[in-house]
Amino acid sequence: MLEEVSPQERVALRTDVKLAEEGFLPDDFVRQLIDVGEIDILVGLPTQNNAKTIASVVAAIQSGILQSFSRDRAAIINADAGSRDGTPELVVSASIDDARQRDFNRLALRTLHSISTQYGSSIARGTALRTILSAGELLRARATAMVSPDSTSIKPDWLRSLLKPVCKEDFDLILPTYARHKFDGLLITNLLYPLIRALYGLRIREPYASEFAFSGRMGSQFLAQNSWNDESREGCEVRFTVAAIAGNLRIGQCFLGTKNVERHAADLVPALRQTIGALFGSMESNFSLWSSKTGSQPVPTTGLEQEFTLEPQRVNRKRLLEMFRSGVAELESVFQSILSPTTLAELQAIAGLEEDDFHYSTELWAKTVYEFAAAHHKAVINRDHIVQALAPLFRGRVLAFLLENRNASAPDVEAQIENLCLEFERLKPYLLEMWAGKQ
Amino acid sequence: MREMIVSELTQAVQELARGFARFLPRLIVLVIIGFAGWVIAYLLKTLARSILRLIKFDRLSENAGASQLLARAALPPSSELLSRFVFWVAWLGFILLGINVLGIFGLHEQIAHFFLFLPRVFAALFIMFFGLLAASFFSRAALLGAVNSNLPSPRLLSIAVRAIIIVFVLSMFFEELGIAEQTVLVAFGIAFGAVMFGLAIAFGTGGKELAQRFLERRLVHKHEDEKNGDELSPL
Amino acid sequence: MLPMLDALWYKDAIIYQVHVRTFYDSNGDGIGDFQGLEQKLEYLQELGVNALWLMPFFPSPLRDAGYDIADYRSVHASYGNLADFRKFLNSAHERGIRVIIEMVLNHTSDQHPWFQQSRSSRDNPYRDWYVWSETDTRYKGTRIIFLDTEMSNWAWDPISKAYYWHRFFSHQPDLNYDNPVVREEMWDVMKFWLEAGVDGFRLDAVPYLTEREGTNCENLPETHVILKDFRRRLDEQFPGRMLLAEANQWPADLRPYFAEGDEFHMAFHFPLMPRMFMGVKLEDRKPITEILQQTPEIPASCQWCLFLRNHDELTLEMVTDIERDYMYDVYAENKTMRLNLGIRRRLAPLLDNDRRCIELMNGMLMSLPGTPIIYYGDEIGMGDNVNLGDRDGVRTPMQWSGGWNGGFSSADPESLCAPLILNPIYGYPAINALSQRRTPHSLFSWMRQMIAVRRSARVFGNGSIEFLYPVNHRILAYVRRFENETVLVVNNLSSAAQAVELDLRRFKGNILIEMFGRNIFPRAGDLPYLLTLGPYQFYWFRLRRV
Repeated sequence: MLEEVSPQERVALRTDVKLAEEGFLPDDFVRQLIDVGEIDILVGLPTQNNAKTIASVVAAIQSGILQSFSRDRAAIINADAGSRDGTPELVVSASIDDARQRDFNRLALRTLHSISTQYGSSIARGTALRTILSAGELLRARATAMVSPDSTSIKPDWLRSLLKPVCKEDFDLILPTYARHKFDGLLITNLLYPLIRALYGLRIREPYASEFAFSGRMGSQFLAQNSWNDESREGCEVRFTVAAIAGNLRIGQCFLGTKNVERHAADLVPALRQTIGALFGSMESNFSLWSSKTGSQPVPTTGLEQEFTLEPQRVNRKRLLEMFRSGVAELESVFQSILSPTTLAELQAIAGLEEDDFHYSTELWAKTVYEFAAAHHKAVINRDHIVQALAPLFRGRVLAFLLENRNASAPDVEAQIENLCLEFERLKPYLLEMWAGKQ
Repeated sequence: MREMIVSELTQAVQELARGFARFLPRLIVLVIIGFAGWVIAYLLKTLARSILRLIKFDRLSENAGASQLLARAALPPSSELLSRFVFWVAWLGFILLGINVLGIFGLHEQIAHFFLFLPRVFAALFIMFFGLLAASFFSRAALLGAVNSNLPSPRLLSIAVRAIIIVFVLSMFFEELGIAEQTVLVAFGIAFGAVMFGLAIAFGTGGKELAQRFLERRLVHKHEDEKNGDELSPL
Repeated sequence: MLPMLDALWYKDAIIYQVHVRTFYDSNGDGIGDFQGLEQKLEYLQELGVNALWLMPFFPSPLRDAGYDIADYRSVHASYGNLADFRKFLNSAHERGIRVIIEMVLNHTSDQHPWFQQSRSSRDNPYRDWYVWSETDTRYKGTRIIFLDTEMSNWAWDPISKAYYWHRFFSHQPDLNYDNPVVREEMWDVMKFWLEAGVDGFRLDAVPYLTEREGTNCENLPETHVILKDFRRRLDEQFPGRMLLAEANQWPADLRPYFAEGDEFHMAFHFPLMPRMFMGVKLEDRKPITEILQQTPEIPASCQWCLFLRNHDELTLEMVTDIERDYMYDVYAENKTMRLNLGIRRRLAPLLDNDRRCIELMNGMLMSLPGTPIIYYGDEIGMGDNVNLGDRDGVRTPMQWSGGWNGGFSSADPESLCAPLILNPIYGYPAINALSQRRTPHSLFSWMRQMIAVRRSARVFGNGSIEFLYPVNHRILAYVRRFENETVLVVNNLSSAAQAVELDLRRFKGNILIEMFGRNIFPRAGDLPYLLTLGPYQFYWFRLRRV
């Protein structure tokens, strides 16, 4: 809703801030921002009904700020999607100020503001990010860290790992790397990471991150560039990463630790939308950038390299095979519009394999993904349907990966992923052909 | 007597000739209008074809599944078909205008009716076209959704969705054209009602527990442990 | 003339801390003296101060700026004699200025005849006047105060072949207050000066009077008994005189020095001062409000003494380690400025000579609850000289004019008691009293006006304080109340302009009258009261219900 900016509000704002942004933020929130004033560090926290985990997350953030940024002006900003379990109140209670006298006040050199605003009544990650970006721009934050409200494994030094490179070493975007289980995050290791690496030539391990940090410069650029309509609300994290690449900004990685998130296994399709859907979409506007890149470069990383843990994990492989087969069979008409005849035939062939012989080669997988990308570009059918159609094929790929690496050690798994990435890079000309090719 | 007959004949012939002379200009006007109409209709057809090409109408109709239908009926592609339709409608309109000029009694009203009916034809075609588009979209969405949720018989579900939507669209189509309005309406009502009723029974008895859990999840903000606890998290 | 017997005069006092030695030299020997000080009383009266605190002027070897006293009942020859002192005292009283002098109770110089006697033999009658020991292991765990120079609180005396106790420099042996004779003698000393007419004493280093094994030898109950006794005698024999405690302790530990209003009248609020500096650098009021929240209530007749700087280093003893590191990094990057857990710089250089910030700090000094003390030279914004040793960098001669020796003395510049500040920013040609008295908008003129406003309202020295906690943490706002006076003070601790909304519902209906320009501001009401302040700006509003 567009609101008039009162003269009083103008007093606290610099004239170089885009005035359009003020219309997006509610009045009350802007008033709170005036009281916070200029800051050095901003921690953004998008939430909805996270009362179970938010207390420990906020405590870790607070400790992190007191430990590593005690002299910096810091604030925690919560963008809430209409929680009804008291989540915003828990976040706001983390503020350290003289009005509330508490024990840890003595540990804090400065006031720490923790404020909250409601941006809507249902989760929209893009709107949450936009709220925090707008606030960060108004407060001229030098560095912002986004933290996920359900990271139960977060530690205070995560903030230092994320923010110090931005503050001290002039990085624009710091993405995390984690100590993952070898079968955790397969959408990233088997699809998102190889694809983004092949497209943009950067070995970004976690392009879709729930914790990351960025500079004020990056935030302002992203805010200005983007048209914040319905479509672009999904997948803002991936678009953020791509924007950093496209803007030729300095990207780095830092090792954080283990990643423990509530498991939402049934959310594959929304996950695909937020990752691949966004990535395919970004390929449209960045064609000139990714079409000219070959090979890939490593990204500066602080802390340990990505690790894998090897505890046994129970997985329902039968179900994966079943869903793959069912997908290949039932969606034939859809695949006919998307895939080339040879690829489709190969997929139908492997759908006939038994579990023990099941194998979805890296080459076939890369080709599959590239053909989907090209189909998405040409919009042969509705683009969202194209993304959804990838789901059963991805499950097949997951099954193949699980079977191949059932007994593999951590270095072996890493090597497999590296091979996959190299395959994607090798087949990039194929993508370009399909992209430009037959109508 | 011969002179009477001759004079009557002459009169009759003169009447005929007069009538003819009165009629001929109108006929000529009709021909001119018809010819002009043809030219204009041709221009409109070309214009329509360019516009349709610009908005990638063929792609749209492919999505709608209309192209496949036409191909099967050995008809030309949809943009071509539509342009030709525009041509014929325009030319016919002009011809009718010309006929109107002829002044043939009784035809006025019919011609007026025709022109009044034309918008409804367009509306009906519009409904049909976008209805087919919607049917195609939603049936594919249902198919994808069913496949990804591992529901049984996804193709059946997809076809059912398409069928329901097409039935609905057809009813609207006929209603718009005013053909057997009541019949169509009642028939649709019965069919739709029956389907809904059947689904309600099925859902109610067979899916009681599912409904309960669904409602719980909506109204009480608990995150149930996923039944699929043994699946990996993709992110 | 002095108002007679106004027992609580110290609550309305504006104290000026001055050292005779570096104020004004009347006889051209390069050292300030009492005759010179007397001549400058007119300047002080113009400034508006109504009390002076004189640093030690007793005979002394001057190894600790006069705090090592060799004769309690006389005046150091360089500064004049007792007659000069008395004449000065009378002149001050005539101008309505009271005089507070130092009284170093805890220790003497090792050149004092008492100590000379005490050390000469173990049978000497003065032996027990000091704290002697065969070993240096007694009172273990007692902290060392002058960390940069002393390694122990015991010093070996080669003459007496024993150790003697000293909490400060080793040439300042501690007196033994367990000896009643010592107590009587010290009261007698105080009585000597009270009879001469001084209005009060600043009792130096009072926490350390007594020692007991197994304690930290500070703030012991025995010390309070002694002090209470002095106070009782003072009230009986010299009503209306004042005792000011110098005790660098946390506020909770300072509270006992007020007792029930029967010990000290005033005490320095040491922990507040570094936090004021921290507040303006952090641009956050949290350090200031928190220390005042922790400050206990004191009896109605008692008063805190507030100050920004003094003759010592800006002490960072009463702050946490994080705070101390921060203060060092922002105020004393150059390590030579650091001394004994403190920073040895003057007010103006600490604040980078930012006039607005200097005004803000003085504004807070004058409006927070307590009696303010102005350190000589800070009213004109004098600078410091870190190249002088110890704390001498903040004890340079007063700069009176742009002429010979800055108007301090007619002696040769090389023979002055301390070198003048010469650099173009703070040197006497740039910063001097004469130029500033002639300039209506100089710092001196501003201070004069500020003191006048402060003195116009009794609420500042006598009133209660209640903090407002606006969400904008850069704004320090509080309400002072006394009898029917209510004053709202709003300070912007930030170097940038700020907007703040204050909750003034309790004062609904009051019109705000800004105290310097005396213009009226909008009435307080139910809605948040919006104020905008420029960098380091502050407002004092008198609240009046018409």
